[in-house]
Amino acid sequence: MKTVIVKPERCVGCLQCRFACAVAHSKSKHSYTAISESPLSKPRIHIGLLKNAIPFPNKCRHCDPAPCERACITKAIYRDEKKNIVLIDPTRCINCGMCAMACPFGVVRYHLQINSKIAAHKCDQCILRQSEGKVPACVETCKVGALVFGEINDEMDKETAKVAELVWLGIRQKSEEEANAFSSLKEYKSKLIEIAKRR
Amino acid sequence: MMRIVIVGLSAAGLSALETLIKHAKDCSITVITEERYEPYSRCLLTHYLGKELTLGGLFISKTSSYPSNVNCIFGRKVVSIEKDANKIQMDDGTHLFYDKLLLATGAEPVKPDYAAKSNRVFTLRHIEDANKIEGKLEDKATVVGGGFVGIKTAYGLIEREVKVNLVISSGYPLSVILDEETGKLIETELKNLGISVYTKSDVFEIAKKPKGVYSLLSSNKTLESDVIIVGKGVKPRLELAESAGIAIKNGILVNEFMETSVKNIFAAGDCVEAYDIARNETFINAIWPNAVEQGYFAAMNMLGSRMKYYGSIGYNSLKTKTFHLISAGVLKGKDIKTYQHYIPSRRQLRKIAFRGDIPVGMAFLNSPNDAGVMVNLIKRAKPLDVKPEEAVKGDFSLLQNLF
Repeated sequence: MKTVIVKPERCVGCLQCRFACAVAHSKSKHSYTAISESPLSKPRIHIGLLKNAIPFPNKCRHCDPAPCERACITKAIYRDEKKNIVLIDPTRCINCGMCAMACPFGVVRYHLQINSKIAAHKCDQCILRQSEGKVPACVETCKVGALVFGEINDEMDKETAKVAELVWLGIRQKSEEEANAFSSLKEYKSKLIEIAKRR
Repeated sequence: MMRIVIVGLSAAGLSALETLIKHAKDCSITVITEERYEPYSRCLLTHYLGKELTLGGLFISKTSSYPSNVNCIFGRKVVSIEKDANKIQMDDGTHLFYDKLLLATGAEPVKPDYAAKSNRVFTLRHIEDANKIEGKLEDKATVVGGGFVGIKTAYGLIEREVKVNLVISSGYPLSVILDEETGKLIETELKNLGISVYTKSDVFEIAKKPKGVYSLLSSNKTLESDVIIVGKGVKPRLELAESAGIAIKNGILVNEFMETSVKNIFAAGDCVEAYDIARNETFINAIWPNAVEQGYFAAMNMLGSRMKYYGSIGYNSLKTKTFHLISAGVLKGKDIKTYQHYIPSRRQLRKIAFRGDIPVGMAFLNSPNDAGVMVNLIKRAKPLDVKPEEAVKGDFSLLQNLF
């Protein structure tokens, strides 16, 4: 099952994903007209700030099992089993704030919906766009590759391959003195820590 | 074919049942409930009373959609357990054998002594309660109890333009979980909504009047209303567990696999006294999300998956049209130090309590966006990588502490 994968280290905090998200969930689905709609379509992806003002994209992870689904006292939050997406039924939602309390990522907001009542509001993994064969709007618009639409296992394989390559480079450099994969892994990690410290 | 019996079909029972339907297609599952209605959400009763929801909006599951290996018995009570014979006895004399039994008997509201003196004193726990209140209510109500149930009931009623008196025995609302300062803020908010709040007073006597009831307060005031609704906490229902000789403190004691002291009997929900992460001892946190979670873990462990339940914390959300409070864990007590950040212009208060360097409690007023992160950090019970003074300001996300 394809899902939106977030690579926080690549995010530059340009907020284009937020605009694209709001437009994609508006009535007209067009940026010109979406801004004058009422109620105004609100983005479902957020750019959070970590310590030292490092931006990171923050959106619903569609957890399984989902804490918000468990906390929901009206069962307005449910899982689309086929697509593996956690969705909110705004007609059942009573705006009690329980899901915001349960969400470990803090991605639930409360906004005015089309039926002029306030209800919980979060990422639906662009379920409509997906049924049209498109990728989610935030992924389409992200220019730096911080948001990727793919199989989680494939993406993890790619990351592992990257690390392996670095380790291999390390081994090759050091092959004269000590050919030890573990020591170069350790070195790689200490470099990462050093970079993190500099920030 | 394993025979699983669940006693009770509210939060914990329903959650366990749904988990079993998903994972145990080859078990025969029997659910026995005293209720006569389809599974409904108790938390919504205050909204039902406030006419925000109709009766149909309360129901959260359809028994007709259950697979054929599930058998639901409504309106029947389990009276005793014979643990050696793996047998339960029901009130109509029939008995059932089980391989695994889940007790999700829940809790009942604490009733004051004066409740017996008038037919206008109610608690709010079942649909029948709400319907009875509806029958007597005209335009004035007195709500006793400053906990979440009391406040939510009062808010529901004020929204349908009923005049509401809220009688609170302690000095401020939500005194069990909040500290005085935050409690006073909530009191002001409630007064602004139009609720008449009487703190440091309790109803000690009631007197009948032709179409209504007088309640005499300990602070020498007399309130007049159509009904008195009491929300002074709940008491776990333990009769059944006692009959089986299960170990009990204030609630049914369970280990991290939701097993009781008797083999093959599990327990979950409001009747259970599980480990409390924030308090670091066993405690009854009788709230809906905990019951759902415990039901899930009990069901998984009944199927033999040995999943460890990490423990509960008390947490709740109180949202009205003017304010949103999210609180979790404990805010006062021995060795607890609180840090706070108050922005009057936004009416925003963020308060985090620490024991040593581990966060154990929080109260966020009008700051819901990262409240969930903090709640889960309390559940995680690990030191943060930032100073408490920085953490409470909310200038940056604490999300990275979760990984």
